[in-house]
Amino acid sequence: MTRARIPLYGVLVLLLLAFLAPLLWALSGSFKPRGDIFGYPPQPVPDPFTLDNYQRLFSGQPFWRWFLMSTVVALVATTVSVFVCALAGYAFAKFRFAGKELLFGVMFSSLSIPFAVILVPLFVILVKTGLGSPWFALIVPWVAPAFGIFMMQQYIVQSVPDSVLEAARIDGASEFGIFRTIVLPLLRPALGALAVWQFLQSYNSFLWPLVLVSDSSRYTLPLGLQTLFVSEQRQYDLVLAGAVIAVVPAVALFVLLRKQLLEGLSTGAVKG
Amino acid sequence: MTTAVAGPTRTDDQRAKADTAARRPRRPWAPYLFISPFYLLYVLFLLVPVAVSVWLSLTEWVGLGTPHWVGLRNYRLLATDISFHRALGNTAVFVLVAVCVVVPLALLIAQALNTRGLRARDLWRTAYFVPIVVSPILVALIFGLLFDRQFGLVNSVLRALFGTGGVDWLGDPSLAKVSIALVMLWRWTGYLTVFFLAGLQSVPRELYEAAAIDGAGRLRTFTTVTLPALKPVTAFVVVTSFIGAAQIFEEPYLLTGGGPAESTLSVTMFIYRAAFQRQQFGYAAAAAVVLFVLVFGLSQLFNRLLGIGRATS
Repeated sequence: MTRARIPLYGVLVLLLLAFLAPLLWALSGSFKPRGDIFGYPPQPVPDPFTLDNYQRLFSGQPFWRWFLMSTVVALVATTVSVFVCALAGYAFAKFRFAGKELLFGVMFSSLSIPFAVILVPLFVILVKTGLGSPWFALIVPWVAPAFGIFMMQQYIVQSVPDSVLEAARIDGASEFGIFRTIVLPLLRPALGALAVWQFLQSYNSFLWPLVLVSDSSRYTLPLGLQTLFVSEQRQYDLVLAGAVIAVVPAVALFVLLRKQLLEGLSTGAVKG
Repeated sequence: MTTAVAGPTRTDDQRAKADTAARRPRRPWAPYLFISPFYLLYVLFLLVPVAVSVWLSLTEWVGLGTPHWVGLRNYRLLATDISFHRALGNTAVFVLVAVCVVVPLALLIAQALNTRGLRARDLWRTAYFVPIVVSPILVALIFGLLFDRQFGLVNSVLRALFGTGGVDWLGDPSLAKVSIALVMLWRWTGYLTVFFLAGLQSVPRELYEAAAIDGAGRLRTFTTVTLPALKPVTAFVVVTSFIGAAQIFEEPYLLTGGGPAESTLSVTMFIYRAAFQRQQFGYAAAAAVVLFVLVFGLSQLFNRLLGIGRATS
């Protein structure tokens, strides 16, 4: 490290603190007794250290039910959408067909439809047709995100060589067989990236579950935590404990697959 | 897989031949079948709702019974509804913050991370990205804690450093907007940095070397080499930031409830409030159509101007 670099590293460390401090503060707060969370002067390290918040969260709230609901919904939505996106992305990347440009443009332009625009009608349609059950409505409408198709298309164009597809075709493989046995394995890094992205989207979604789910036994984690947060007395002690646990799967998944995610995300933008 | 990877040894002629062969499937319906799941869901859960939204916007409906046709009345009401004007204005402010503050800051950080010989680049990049991984509700509650007027960490720090505290971050109309903007900054900057950094790393070194030989200074190099090379990334980042900020909801809903005095009410909050708190479904739909026209229209315009969103390029 040369001396000239010291200011640069200083700035990067300051930024690091700015980005991580709120999260570390929440982590530390979750181990403090209620009165200490807002104590002055602020204590970075909990003293006394207590697990009481966690215990009360588990015993007094259906926390694990919320957690399970969010996780299962996110896992199912992720699995299906990764498949749907890879399939469509492959078609757009490797086939020539009538109407391709138009269909691609339609798909791409759906990225610019704000969710708030379909919020009311989607709710009305699903409830009126009896499809408003959380298991259906929290999952199915979200399993074909245009962003995912775009990401897959960009990746496939760059990393699936035509000659391999051609060879398989000469060998008499079916089109879907080629997709399943040749394309999908080649896509593994991109699929990982998309899976993390999709999981986070579903796991963290708030507005749609807020509108859709009225039955508290079907609350997702964000909804459940929200009830603690907006209750008469903001139960910061419980909320912080819940927040810490809620963030664990998201951060764990991210840390595990971060390289793929960060690279996968940027592929589309860079080649644009 | 011998000649699989398109290397410099393959001639353009060979490549073109391989391309056409690969792209001419024996079953012409295969690609349509492959994109059909997407289009099925697209029609059912996007196109139909948008159409229903337009129809609902021309009716008055409390969510029960039959919608009552009122023509353009909802739109006339919106035109004179001060709350809606505030929501539009506030949302415009958030969009401007996203595009004019968050995006340039992300570019700046990416520049810093792209410094040659920087150590632990992945560590910085990962750490800065973490906020976007965290659920918005957690973000809101953590910042609610930090911005608390009496006991929040931000005020505690201010008190310790300058002896003044008690700033009403979320209770003062103009400060509340600033607070929401700060949360946006915290959440989105690191995310966008990832895109810019990837863009910067794909700029060929020779371009910089050529600029250096020409005697270009830092600023000239930035404007003549870096910025043009980053154009596709910038286009993508600007459009996604615009679309994201235009539908901001969680931060104001959870942190300030849109207040004080509707100073942080966003258009999405306005729609949510009209439909699900006031049972004005037709009115909410009209506001949604206005949002749709603005966001969709502007982003299509950006896409065209900046040239993104084509299958082949």
